[in-house]
Amino acid sequence: MMRGTILAATLLAATTLATAARADSDNFTELQRGRYLTTAGDCMGCHIGPDGQSMAGGNLLETPFGNIAVPNITPDNKTGIGTWSAQDFYEAMHVGKRPDGTHLYPAFPYTSFTKMSRADTDAVYAYLRAQEPVANEVDRNTLPFPFNIRLAMWAWNRLNFTPGEFKPDPQRSEAYNRGAYLVEGPGHCGLCHTPRNFMGGDAASDELKGGALQGWFAPNITADKHLGIGAWSEAEIVDYLRTGHTARTAASGPMSEVVAYSTSQMTDADLKAIATYLRERSAVGAPAPQPVASTDPHMQAGAAIYEDSCAACHARDGQGVAGMFPRLADNQLVQQTDPSGILHVVLQGSRSVAAPQAVTAPAMPSLRWRLSDQQVADVATFIRNSWGNAAAAVTTDQVKTMRDATAGIAMSQGN
Amino acid sequence: MPLTTRRRLLCATALVAFSSPAVAHSVTGRLPWSPNEAYPPDIVQPGGWLFLRPEEAATLDAVVSRLIPADDLSPSGKDVGCTIFIDRQLAGPWGTYDWYYMQPPFADKPLPTQGIQSPLVPQQQYRKGLAALTAYCRDTFGGKTFEQLSTEDQDKLLSGMEKGEVHLPGLTAPQLTTTMFFAQVLDNTIEGFFADPIYGGNKDMAGWKMIGFPGTRYDYRDVIANPGKPYTKPPVAIMGRPEWNGKPA
Repeated sequence: MMRGTILAATLLAATTLATAARADSDNFTELQRGRYLTTAGDCMGCHIGPDGQSMAGGNLLETPFGNIAVPNITPDNKTGIGTWSAQDFYEAMHVGKRPDGTHLYPAFPYTSFTKMSRADTDAVYAYLRAQEPVANEVDRNTLPFPFNIRLAMWAWNRLNFTPGEFKPDPQRSEAYNRGAYLVEGPGHCGLCHTPRNFMGGDAASDELKGGALQGWFAPNITADKHLGIGAWSEAEIVDYLRTGHTARTAASGPMSEVVAYSTSQMTDADLKAIATYLRERSAVGAPAPQPVASTDPHMQAGAAIYEDSCAACHARDGQGVAGMFPRLADNQLVQQTDPSGILHVVLQGSRSVAAPQAVTAPAMPSLRWRLSDQQVADVATFIRNSWGNAAAAVTTDQVKTMRDATAGIAMSQGN
Repeated sequence: MPLTTRRRLLCATALVAFSSPAVAHSVTGRLPWSPNEAYPPDIVQPGGWLFLRPEEAATLDAVVSRLIPADDLSPSGKDVGCTIFIDRQLAGPWGTYDWYYMQPPFADKPLPTQGIQSPLVPQQQYRKGLAALTAYCRDTFGGKTFEQLSTEDQDKLLSGMEKGEVHLPGLTAPQLTTTMFFAQVLDNTIEGFFADPIYGGNKDMAGWKMIGFPGTRYDYRDVIANPGKPYTKPPVAIMGRPEWNGKPA
């Protein structure tokens, strides 16, 4: 009798535990955790729907292989993931496969999400399931031949992808491991900040060394002091991720969306953990080159252009105005080996992010109408080699390439 | 849908939200902004007259060179491009007063506060005025054109026009008097001498160099705390200055 009671109680407890472990849309805590992870993963950044609110997809992601249309991940049965189980979702996140067994493209960063724990993907699943279904049919086969053959991803995965959940390093602090999990897993920072090889895979030794995307260059975020965030304090990294602004720089381009949709809504503890991880992990960079001499004719032309066109905001001494106009002296973005970032901003202008904690989103005007390719090259060379900065001189070919790449995106002509 | 289109959609949504009456909204998130957005002035291209006829341009060249003669202060009005400036302005929206209300009635004896009371737009004023000047010179100076006169005669004639002592044939109130025509040409010559070189005049920023005007420079934090000391920086125009191209000033 007694044994029977104990057995029954054990069974009951086991059942309860099993239920709790499954995704449960009535579980407020799990939903909130799922919501937070969805934010940390910036799912909205790509999956935002035509309504500007749901994750009904439809955006075209530019990749070197063609455009990929982002799928609908609302729980709509026909056009979304309404029929997916938690296991299906885990498979997609963990090994990049859809329920029918076909392969997803790594523009969807399952190469990072594979590090997420089952509990976390279940929480994200539960959160996505709790959203309003939105019917939005997305053409999921937009890549040109031969990249439209999804089976090819089988071979790609063999070469470029190792599935496996994140393993904390017991030698490191809890904050470091939390940061590593966020950066390498849900945050998928490497999707942009790690350079791609010719197949679009990432090179492990170059992790977070900076990569080109969509006419920008996601800068080096290793602990390298010259090119990375090695010289940034923890508070600086936290401020940057929370508001998009520090005295040193302002988030622009794709990163401004990351701040707006994702990092500005993350907890202080998590932002500090990310800062800890980035500052303590290895530095990958290149030693600072010899700066171009200030007597170089291109530097002198650049100095004249800078004084007349840039100095009013960024100041003659390159110090900028804290929180408003980025400091250019000791600014890593402008000294990246690939000058795409500075060229993009000079040619096209930029509006940095508005975050809840810093509501003003200062903008820089486009200077493409006012400066020739040679002049843009000279002023960029000057900025990259003044006030202690040092980086290779910019060529007119680089400017011309960027001018073509950024032309006509939204040129308003009507004076 | 590409990212930029999405952004524009968001902006458009915000605009629609703002235009709905009687509902207060606060601006949150992104302000409307478009990449590459700029409204540069049209840059005057060299070569050829756009409105003036060659003989009109020759006369006007001579007029602006007497209004602003070449001397040790500056090059002449012609040499800094005042005629080109006036020609391009006449060919543009100003030449036809595109944005003015130009319907009658026009006052016969307008008060100064009534502004423009001539039905003639600048294109007509110049065409008519220059023809009258040519006719006057032909009749008064034995078939010569204005530009063929000696500089003394040119100066005398111009100051007579300014003071109302010379009446060019066919120019009458209220449409266009000789003094009105002279005042118009003088105004436009001064504008051409001092306007940004992008508009065709003020070549090499000569007008600005003459008076020490700094041009489109807009940051004086480095020099403002030097009261009484001369300002020595070179002027800069909308399209820059020679140093931008690695040339000495």
